[in-house]
Amino acid sequence: MSDDAEPQRRSRSDAGVDPNSQADGGSVETTIEAWAPSRPALSTRVGRPLVLGIVTLVVLVLSVPVVVTFVSSFAETATGILPRGFVTFEHWRDVLGLGGDQMAVIPGLAFSLAIATGGMMLNVVIGVPIAYALTRYEFYARDWLNTLAIVPLVPGVVLGLAFVQTYPNHGRSALGLIAGYCLLKSPYMVLTVQSSFQSMDLVRLEESARSLGASWPRTFLTVIVPHAKRGILAGCIITWTLAAAEFNFTFMVVSGSPDPFAVFLYRNTSNATYMQQAAAVSVYFLLVVSAIAVLQLIGNRGFTTIRDQ
Amino acid sequence: MSEVTLESLTKRYGDELAVDGIDLTIRDGEILGIVGPSGCGKTTTLRTIAGFETPTHGRVRFDGVDVTHVPPEERHVGLVFQSYALFDTMTVRENVAFGLKMRDVPRRERRERAGALLEMLDISALADRRPTTLSGGQQQRVGLARALAIEPHVLLLDEPMTGLDAALKTRLRTAIRDLLSDLGVTAIYVTHDQEEAMAMCDRIAVLNAGTVEQVGTPSAIYRRPANAFVANFIGNSTLLTGVAADGRVDLGFAELEVAAATDGTVTVAVRPEAFEFEREGPINAEVTSATYLGDRTQLTATLPDETTVALHADAAETYRTGETVSLSIDDTSVHVLE
Amino acid sequence: MSVPESTAASVRRVRTFVSTTARPTTERERERRRIAIMCLPFFALATVAGFVPLAMLVRMSVAADAVWIEGWSLDAWRTLLTEPTYRRVAWNTVWFVGLATIVSVVLGVAVAHALERYDLPFERAVVAAVSFPIALPGIIVAILVIAMLGRQGLVTNAIAAVTGTSAIDLASATAITGLFLGYVYSLVPRATMVLRGTYAEVNTQAEEAARSLGASRWETFYHVTLPEIRPGIAAATILTFRSGLAIFGTVLLLQSHHVVTLQIQREISVGTYRPDVAAAIGLVYVVFIVAFTFVGLRFVRTDTVAI
Repeated sequence: MSDDAEPQRRSRSDAGVDPNSQADGGSVETTIEAWAPSRPALSTRVGRPLVLGIVTLVVLVLSVPVVVTFVSSFAETATGILPRGFVTFEHWRDVLGLGGDQMAVIPGLAFSLAIATGGMMLNVVIGVPIAYALTRYEFYARDWLNTLAIVPLVPGVVLGLAFVQTYPNHGRSALGLIAGYCLLKSPYMVLTVQSSFQSMDLVRLEESARSLGASWPRTFLTVIVPHAKRGILAGCIITWTLAAAEFNFTFMVVSGSPDPFAVFLYRNTSNATYMQQAAAVSVYFLLVVSAIAVLQLIGNRGFTTIRDQ
Repeated sequence: MSEVTLESLTKRYGDELAVDGIDLTIRDGEILGIVGPSGCGKTTTLRTIAGFETPTHGRVRFDGVDVTHVPPEERHVGLVFQSYALFDTMTVRENVAFGLKMRDVPRRERRERAGALLEMLDISALADRRPTTLSGGQQQRVGLARALAIEPHVLLLDEPMTGLDAALKTRLRTAIRDLLSDLGVTAIYVTHDQEEAMAMCDRIAVLNAGTVEQVGTPSAIYRRPANAFVANFIGNSTLLTGVAADGRVDLGFAELEVAAATDGTVTVAVRPEAFEFEREGPINAEVTSATYLGDRTQLTATLPDETTVALHADAAETYRTGETVSLSIDDTSVHVLE
Repeated sequence: MSVPESTAASVRRVRTFVSTTARPTTERERERRRIAIMCLPFFALATVAGFVPLAMLVRMSVAADAVWIEGWSLDAWRTLLTEPTYRRVAWNTVWFVGLATIVSVVLGVAVAHALERYDLPFERAVVAAVSFPIALPGIIVAILVIAMLGRQGLVTNAIAAVTGTSAIDLASATAITGLFLGYVYSLVPRATMVLRGTYAEVNTQAEEAARSLGASRWETFYHVTLPEIRPGIAAATILTFRSGLAIFGTVLLLQSHHVVTLQIQREISVGTYRPDVAAAIGLVYVVFIVAFTFVGLRFVRTDTVAI
């Protein structure tokens, strides 16, 4: 049985090779016959186009809504399939508060940005030291602390709910928002700074500086922190941008005026025109795009905590 | 510069004994090499001298002063690492002047002293560059200049040349040795490369499993190893067992005219170069492998008592596996282990 | 006898520990003090803004009067266990987020594979496009979904024009499909981010070796690449699922599926005001996320599931 199968299989593969090599082999066919490739595997022919197709689709789905929204903000009307009547700055004027309209997003955005800046600065103060401790030292319960610091375990909605009840007087204030934003966004700061620390020889740097006579606080401030400045900057940009449009926690906490940016967007979904809303959202898009540009400039892979090697 | 004394230095991490009662004196102005297999306690010893580890027992003294509990930043110890660990955010000059700045030396003086050191190490042209733009050898010099700038009691070099290529290493080690002895710096040089240690150091301490096996000049360590470990760790040795009596050692298949401290069974360390090839020698050995190395041929052979030996043979001759060679042993270059 | 003795011993040990940390003499003690100092700011914030509010949440959930936090009562927990609504919300949340997670991770593998293995044109632009949505809050994602799939939406109008049906019938923004797309929109970038990190660590030489040994591209992916990125897939799943559970703005605006975050909001809305139940749901939710994350951490490294 098996003796029979052998020659049979060989002859079939021979038959498979022949037409193939005749088709593209030309005159050298006889010499390369042994090397003539069998038909490429299915995955070689289909795999890459399929993956590229999926990637194209994903990129389109992720970017088209953003681009359309941005473009629409300059259109006069959006009835019909495509927005029409370019180019008008009417909606941008409304949104930027130059038209005296109630859609003026600037007070809310300014308030949000101020809070975000506060949260960002607080994050530098709390995030950089703990990132250093977690990267540099081995100690009891380090892994637990690491998890606590870099994994956001309490969602914004729940934290907001708890916050208002715990601090009925200050929870809704700017100070409360700063503390909340700082805690919610701290993993981003800790992670980016950690990956920056991991790329350098922390122990040797610290030991060099100390053997040269720098006290330990001085070593940290004049040697370690400057070496991590890109990571700290990246962490600042990410925490700041995310906090500027934070919604979940803010929505549960806020009750005053001005409404922070994201809450303002929510409250105006029904009474603003689509184009006004598009312009308001586009303001934030511009912010994110500049953030990504700066992040790529300082060696981050776009809006993530991962660095390019 | 200072004399550094380690007094029964012991360092324990949990159950693990990293350093086990080391007594060692590094004389003022000498370069002491510390060699040993990985995990022998070299690095722990170095870090304890620098102050980054506090010993579990024992003391560290600089010129007789107990510095065991003095923090590293107050010890005046220069450190040079394999990874250089330069400050990339500062220029070369700022790197070198860093230690002086920490000691609040006035700006002008800092510049002058940094400049002088850069001059001495022949890297003045790089003063305003960032360390990341320098080659490995240049970075190593900056690291050395930075450590020397604080005029340390002792300079600690931790495998400083491991990352460099062979030719540069040879050039740099002569330069560094001359510089250190000109300056009269007390230095401790940790390396796993015994050849480097021999070339650079006035004395060598061989460490194993947290203890000092032997301290001595390079030639003493090579020619008169204190025990089997040193004999095998420094260079290549064959250990043969024999019976000592009347100033002779009987190996069974040959007799050596060497004096042993005691009569009875002894171990003799024989270097590859102590074996001499003879037309008609007293020892016959069977070649088990031959490797051509350019300047010589490295042979392994089996002695009559089944011991495997390493031999250095003339590169011009051809040897085959299974061939029998005739040998004698040069009595003056064998050493009886205590 | 022995109990007070060992207590005294441990008290003494703690006292030594504290005093040596405060006034260190050895380098190890100095290091311990440094660690304590470095962790202190974070701990202070985590306590004030995290632990204390969470403790308050526990107290709220067992308060007889949840507004003034007075008295004790297990009413909220009883409601949670007995009323079928809550079971339905839990099930809704898990299947919906679970499905969105699976879809997002599969797409994430494809995108990460293409970015790390192919020479894509405009790679920086692609990276920017897939990382951009990480910065968008749920509320903006909802606005984008409405802009595409709402009654006036671009996609809705385009399909209506082609097929001749009414745009109103086609609008799916506030249907569950619209919400699902919104979830995937938020989650794909996160999954991709984690998987790219894993891909970057995969040894390409092993892949090349497999190809040279005659494996096809698919066989190489299946036998060599996939086992190597499996931890990344696990990490991406944990991260994506957790992020999906926390989505609130999108569902608040679109309102098309009843998930846990929406339920919490409803419990504290005017009319159905029950803060004790909201607190109880919040606690179940946090405990679930913590448990889920820690179980997941047994299989992957911590830093891969962060954010």
